[in-house]
Amino acid sequence: MKTINFAIDLGTTNSLIAKYDDGTIKIYNNPLGLKQTLPSCIAFRGNRIVIGDKALDYLEKDAENICMLFKRKMGTQDTYFVPSIEKELSPIELSSLILKELKNFVNDEETLNSVVITIPASFDTIQSNATKKAGYMAGFKEVVLLQEPIAACLAFANTSNVEVREKQNWIVYDFGGGTFDVALVEVNDRELKVTDNLGDNYLGGADFDNLIVEKLIVPFLEEKLGLNNLWKDLKSKASDFKGLYFELLKLAEEAKKELSHYEETEIELDLDINGENIYEQLIIKREQFEDLIASKVEQTITFIQEVIKNNQLLNSQIERVILIGGSTYVPLIKKRISEAIGVEVNATIDPTSAVVHGAAYYAGSKPVTVSEAVEVYNTVEEDTVDFKLFYEQNTRDLEELITGKIASDKASSFRIMRKDGGYDSGVKILEDGGFSEFVPLLEGRLNLFKIQLLNSELDVVKTIDTVAINQGSYNVQGQPLPNDICMEVDDLDASATRLEKVFAKGSILPLKKKIYKTASKTILQQSTSNLIINIIEGKSKGLPSSGLSIGYIEISGKDLEEDLIKGTDIEIEIEVTESRDLKINVFLQSCDQEFKNVFSESERAISISKINMEINTVLGDVEELIKMNISEENFEYSQQLETIRVGLIETQIAASLINEDDVSDAKFQLDDKKRKLIQDFDDLTRNKFIAKEIEEYNETKKGLEYHLNKAENERFQDKYARIIENEREVINSGNKYLIRSKIKELDELYDSVIQSSDENFISYFLNLKFCTEFSNQRKADRLFQQGDQAMEKQDYKSLRHIVYGLSALLPDYEKEKQKNFKDDSRTGLS
Amino acid sequence: MTEIINQIFALDLKMKKDNNDSAKRYLERIYHEFEGMGFQIVNPVGQAYRNEMTDVEANILGDLNGKSKITKVLKPVIYHIENNESKLLQKGIVIVE
Repeated sequence: MKTINFAIDLGTTNSLIAKYDDGTIKIYNNPLGLKQTLPSCIAFRGNRIVIGDKALDYLEKDAENICMLFKRKMGTQDTYFVPSIEKELSPIELSSLILKELKNFVNDEETLNSVVITIPASFDTIQSNATKKAGYMAGFKEVVLLQEPIAACLAFANTSNVEVREKQNWIVYDFGGGTFDVALVEVNDRELKVTDNLGDNYLGGADFDNLIVEKLIVPFLEEKLGLNNLWKDLKSKASDFKGLYFELLKLAEEAKKELSHYEETEIELDLDINGENIYEQLIIKREQFEDLIASKVEQTITFIQEVIKNNQLLNSQIERVILIGGSTYVPLIKKRISEAIGVEVNATIDPTSAVVHGAAYYAGSKPVTVSEAVEVYNTVEEDTVDFKLFYEQNTRDLEELITGKIASDKASSFRIMRKDGGYDSGVKILEDGGFSEFVPLLEGRLNLFKIQLLNSELDVVKTIDTVAINQGSYNVQGQPLPNDICMEVDDLDASATRLEKVFAKGSILPLKKKIYKTASKTILQQSTSNLIINIIEGKSKGLPSSGLSIGYIEISGKDLEEDLIKGTDIEIEIEVTESRDLKINVFLQSCDQEFKNVFSESERAISISKINMEINTVLGDVEELIKMNISEENFEYSQQLETIRVGLIETQIAASLINEDDVSDAKFQLDDKKRKLIQDFDDLTRNKFIAKEIEEYNETKKGLEYHLNKAENERFQDKYARIIENEREVINSGNKYLIRSKIKELDELYDSVIQSSDENFISYFLNLKFCTEFSNQRKADRLFQQGDQAMEKQDYKSLRHIVYGLSALLPDYEKEKQKNFKDDSRTGLS
Repeated sequence: MTEIINQIFALDLKMKKDNNDSAKRYLERIYHEFEGMGFQIVNPVGQAYRNEMTDVEANILGDLNGKSKITKVLKPVIYHIENNESKLLQKGIVIVE
């Protein structure tokens, strides 16, 4: 059996839509903005219709073209004349627009033919039929009505699981933002019936906010500022205080909410009045607030008592009072009702969504009666609407023009929405079969848009979902960076320095970025130790020494006012202007010291000792590779390497002949030569290195998987899956540091797998027998002997410790490398 | 999280109003961290206001027209970015004149 499932609370001030889904209720959010509620308000602005929150914008300026509170006129002959479109609109037509807008909240894949719509208990037959008609007009094929108090009772009953065996009387107390209603509901074997109701259409929570402003804030301000008549002036259209009135109302609303939870609250008044800034705090106690609203609350109590009396009931015959509507959060209300009526007052259901919640339960139990055939007929959306769109896909502007040409007479209006919820054009009429609309863009993001084409009944006939505009990324104008701009940082894991990308190749100048690093070494005041900031233009995947250093500064201990402590923050702001000037600001947190505009490109410093150091590092690698390739008879390759080796040695000799303070451009020439040689080396070897890393990665993975496939290691599977999740990206990145860090992660997991069981150490032990490089062979032999004995006894716990002992005797290559990564070869940034 | 962002934003406004930039650096760092966590915080003050902007709740003083501007921001607009898709997390509350 197919059930209706969808329910709408078509409220006087706010409306909601929800769905029953297998026992749970989902209340839909407005895709524009975040709220579940849609203000029942429509603005007609000539060729544009705005529904909901944004319609309220025009309330002051253009009140005659705004329609709201039309629910109060449902079922009457009254119509609303809207001057801007020169049309009379009935409450039914207006309500149908709200219903259509609510349909928009539901995802596109849902077909929505049947719905439950709630109505006040006070609605007569004509008003009820009018609501139904609005539903049909909005495109629903089946509309089932449900009274709001019943819906509230259903929400309560279904969430609290009360068993009702005999007849009971419940009161539903509905105190909203602008209206108040009370209903008497007869509950019987899980059947519900409204027997009576009363209400006031002009009593609501907004009155409380106004009272706080009028009676508490305004007198306080008048006293502080020596003003008279402030309350009147605040509300006067002609006064300068109108902005203030809204600000104060917001503060009052916040205070009201706070007072529902706390005994007192503080209003911070930070205001500009008559060009004067005042800053004051006003403390409001809950008691004061309650005194203020007491008479309004008493009015509502009188309504309850009247309903009870009118039905010849006694207070004791009322089983419970259910509170709904936003204003019922105020504790005084609950307290006064239980005092006055002496029954259980229930405030467990969410007061704003209770009605739609209960209605959705009802919808979930109500079978659909319209046939499937009707549904097919009802699908208005079609593919035959031809259109063409024109817009810039990439832009640096914060606004972009979308132009559309529609080759179909089925569509008469359009609507553009930004998918993140930040923009809605409203429904606008097509002009000459097309539209041109400026849309605002979110900075630095890919902005996605949805465009709807609608017919004259405002039904959607086509949805275009493919419009995407990229803000800030590329631009045809402006100068793009020819190379990555990077910063040299320490890679403590690899005991080397590496490049970190600051700006990517192709980014448009000017560029500015703040980078937060931590100090990787302590630099004592007055010491000769250095912090090095080296900004390099070149491939971010290459070796630091292969790029062009466009900015190099050293901050030494002598420059420091206090010690720079390892682990503290270093803030580096890097800016490349349109004319390619490089500006750097460095701020050392632990010294509270700033090095502003420390250098510009023209003052580039090159240090001979750094050139020397860099050549030495690379030279070692080159020589090792040559040896390896010769032994593999890879003569052509080793010849290329040899050329680089000779070049590097020549450069080094040349460098040793210049003084550090040489003023000629010889240093720059050498630096240039060094860079080209290292770049050649980099190009020659990078792919090989990466291939090697990938090979190692795959081997590590294979070894690990072998252990993971054993039943006892299943618990490590999740962690493994997490590590290899972005494997493809890492391997394709061509960045050996990234691959290396993945290998490290796998190694760590491998270690924890192995260490989880003593028996895993057997193969380790057997492998160690092939090693010959122990630092103390005698000690190793003794351990092997003990190990063999432990194997015989199957004492794997002891074996584990023996393996640890043997491992400690092996030379530690890693440690050796770390030792070589001396203080002065580090940048000091990590 | 939005509440924390709102408080930091209010603190920032307050310091700016007092012409006090002694903590500017720390505020910027906090904003940077928010960004790293996927929050894009927009202060639309000074921007021209259009009714189509559904990311702000506007309190409009006087007539809304082509010259209307956002003159005061009581709460900032907050977007959250997840999987490279942005989503409105909080509407800004602004005064338009």
